[in-house]
This record gives sequence, structure tokens and C-alpha cells, in this order.
Amino acid sequence: MRICKGDSFERVYLNEPVNLQLEQEAGSRVKIVVVDFETSNCRALEIANRITIEQQGEGCVTEIYALAWLQGTDRVTTETKVTHAVGGGRSEQLVKYVLDGQSKGRFVGELKIAPDAQEVEAHQTNRNILLSEEAEMRTQPQLEIYADDVKATHGASTGQLDESALFYMQQRGIDPGCARQLLIGAFMKEILEEACAVGGETAALQDVRDLLNAIDGVVE
Amino acid sequence: MTKLLEIKDLRASIGGKEILKGVNLVIGEGEVHAIMGPNGAGKSTLSAVLTGHPAYEVTSGEVYLRGENLLEMAPEVRARAGVFLSFQYPVEIPGVSMTNFMRTALNEKRAYEGKEPLSAKKFLQLMREKKALLELPDKLNNRSVNEGFSGGEKKKNEIFQMAMLEPCLAILDETDSGLDIDALRIVAEGVNRLKRPDNAAIVITHYQRLLDYIVPDYVHVLADGRIVKTGGKELALELEEKGYENL
Repeated sequence: MRICKGDSFERVYLNEPVNLQLEQEAGSRVKIVVVDFETSNCRALEIANRITIEQQGEGCVTEIYALAWLQGTDRVTTETKVTHAVGGGRSEQLVKYVLDGQSKGRFVGELKIAPDAQEVEAHQTNRNILLSEEAEMRTQPQLEIYADDVKATHGASTGQLDESALFYMQQRGIDPGCARQLLIGAFMKEILEEACAVGGETAALQDVRDLLNAIDGVVE
Repeated sequence: MTKLLEIKDLRASIGGKEILKGVNLVIGEGEVHAIMGPNGAGKSTLSAVLTGHPAYEVTSGEVYLRGENLLEMAPEVRARAGVFLSFQYPVEIPGVSMTNFMRTALNEKRAYEGKEPLSAKKFLQLMREKKALLELPDKLNNRSVNEGFSGGEKKKNEIFQMAMLEPCLAILDETDSGLDIDALRIVAEGVNRLKRPDNAAIVITHYQRLLDYIVPDYVHVLADGRIVKTGGKELALELEEKGYENL
């Protein structure tokens, strides 16, 4: 699919496999938010998301946010490929996983900046939290940067919930289970907020909003 | 004197190394006790053990809070029963707002006391009232817990939380470290205003300076895992002058 000059493509995907291939013309904007988690009416997740985007015109903006909150035997794979074929563009990729039970997650993130694509700003971040011994995360960031006048960052980390934060909350009387929920919620929040910022009135977005509200504790 | 806290021959270790080697201490209601001592004496270990930090192992001894066995309580239960630690290094919790954090903590405590949760309106009113006490900005509510706070703000935030939770036993672990004189005054005034006839405070500090503002009833010197000397507030001045080595 082509995103025409100056156009904008924004979408939120909840629990549906994403298979997108986009070519961006000059000045176009793409924002994709992928959220995968077990809602009340869904079974174990088995989802593969594939997003391929090429910036073919100058001054494009590409944003990809993905969040997977997995438990039981859930399996979610996220593959992104962002190519800056020309200069002057910006791209942002933020991928987060929370894995519990025996769930498995995988992230393959490719970022390519072509030789002539100068003055590009590109960021790729992957952060994962493992909540159980059996959960598994595989992450493969791949950066190919051929231009020299670019600003590119990437980072990938996989860890556990912050023990010192858990104790701090317990010391204030907060139940450890509740403290864990607060930390998990805090971790997921920024991507859920990105999803809500896209707007629209789909059932999927309502589920995301409900989760965000639960995290913010605004439910009276 | 009504006993609030009683520590009997408390021994504790971390990673197999014994840090507390038989601490005895009785704290009565309405009292302020300062604990001073050289680095590595076990001051912070004592606060960690009293609050139930999982890294420390209590190898022997007993601790009673108002006659109840403190060491058998989970850390969150100790907190709800009224033990509050002002952390030496308050922890940043990105993404968890002060409001959400504080409201959860306060309502857990109220539930423990058999009280109804506070309404949103009353809770926010209480936040505003207590923030003013510490001269903390209004915007605090929406900020993440301690995230991006200056050193002084973090310490004020600890005392603010103490004001919200109204503990019966406050442990201030080097609350003065990293504070300039103005912040020190505000923090100390906050602590003093929270003083009641039925609560008590343990003030852990390296320096006499804080004790000019929070005047202790007793000063204890902790050295090599034991309380080696106890005196009145004048003992702190003596220590400041002569150091610990002469003890």
C-alpha cells in the first residue's frame, strides 16, 4: 500500500495479526500501534505481526508502537522492517513485552538507512519484562546504517520487575500483588496512551481504554 | 512509659555476614531516639530489618511493636501496623503517579484499620493539606513517584508520605543527607509537626546538624552491630566534637 504525498495513516490493531507493507511518499506520516493481550473474551494468543515500511520520499515520519502482554501459552511475534531509502525522515519504534506463565515472545527489528539517506533520525527500542521462570523472549535488533550524517539509537533489554520499587511500595503498605500490577501497568502505559491518542471508536480501542483506566485507577 | 517498640538481642546477617550482633532497644511512646555511629556499623541494616527487607536474615532475637511480634509480619503488614521508613535513597517508580501510589497505600492502611476507603475528594484534600506542610508543589500529584525529583524533593516526598500515612513509628534513615539548609529545616519542621504523644521516631544520622532541628530524647551509638553507648542529646554534641574512636 502506498501512503501518498503528505497523507497520514494511523491505526490501532488489537489482537489481530498485522501484515502491513507500506511505501511512504514525501511528507507522509504513518503511526501504527499494535496491542496484544488476553481480553475477557479471547483464548490463548497465537499471533504473528509483520510490518514493513519504506520511506521513499523526503520528510516522512514513521512511528511503530507494539505492546504484548502474554500469559499461559501465548505466542506473539513482532517483526518490523523500517527502511529509510531517502534522507530527511524520522522513525520511531518502541516494542514492549510483558511475559508470564510459559509464554513466548519474539521481536525482530530491522532498521536500514540507505547510503544517500542523510539527516535521518531513527530510534528503535525494545524492552521486555519476564515475570516467570518459564517465560521466554527472543529479541533480534538488526541495524544497517550506510549513511554517515544520521542520528540513530537502539536499545534492547530484558529483565524483571524492579525489586527495590516493589519493596518501596510494600513498605508503604501496598500488597505485593498490587505493587506488581502497578509496575506492570506503568510499563505498559506509554504504548496504551499512544493507542488512545490515535482515537476512533472501535471495540478494540475501548478494550485498550479500559485497561488504561484500570492502570490509572480512575475507575470509581 | 508505654512501650511502643522493644528490640531484644537482635541479630541479623546479609549474605552470611553478620551485621547486627545483638541489638537491644526500647522505645516509648512520644520519644525521639537518634542512632548515630560510624559507616558500616549497621544503622541502615537495623532499619531494613525492622521493615522486613527480604535481603536480610534475622538469625535470632525478638522485636515487638505494641506487644505484637513484628518479625512475623510481612513487610506490608508492618507498614499498615504503623512502621514507616523514610528511605535513605527513595526509589523512582516511572509511570506510577504519586496520586495512584499514595491512594493505594492509604486505602490499604485504612482497610487494615477497618476503615472505609477515602473518597476521591477527601483524598485530594488531604494530599493538598499535607503537601503544604512540606512546601511541595501542587503538580506533584501527576508526577511519577520520585521520578526526576531533586535530592531535596525526594526527601521532602518521604516526609510527605509519612504525613499522609501517620505512622506510629517513623524511621528516618539519613533523611538529612543531601539536603541544603532550607530543605533540612522544612523536612525537620515537617517531622516535628507530626510528633504526637502516642508515636515515636528513630532518627538515623551521621551528623549532629539534623539533631539541632529534631531534638532527640535519647542518642544511641551503634558500633559493630551493637549499641555501645546511650545518652541524652548532649551525647550527639560530644560525638561531633570527639568522633567515634574514643568510645
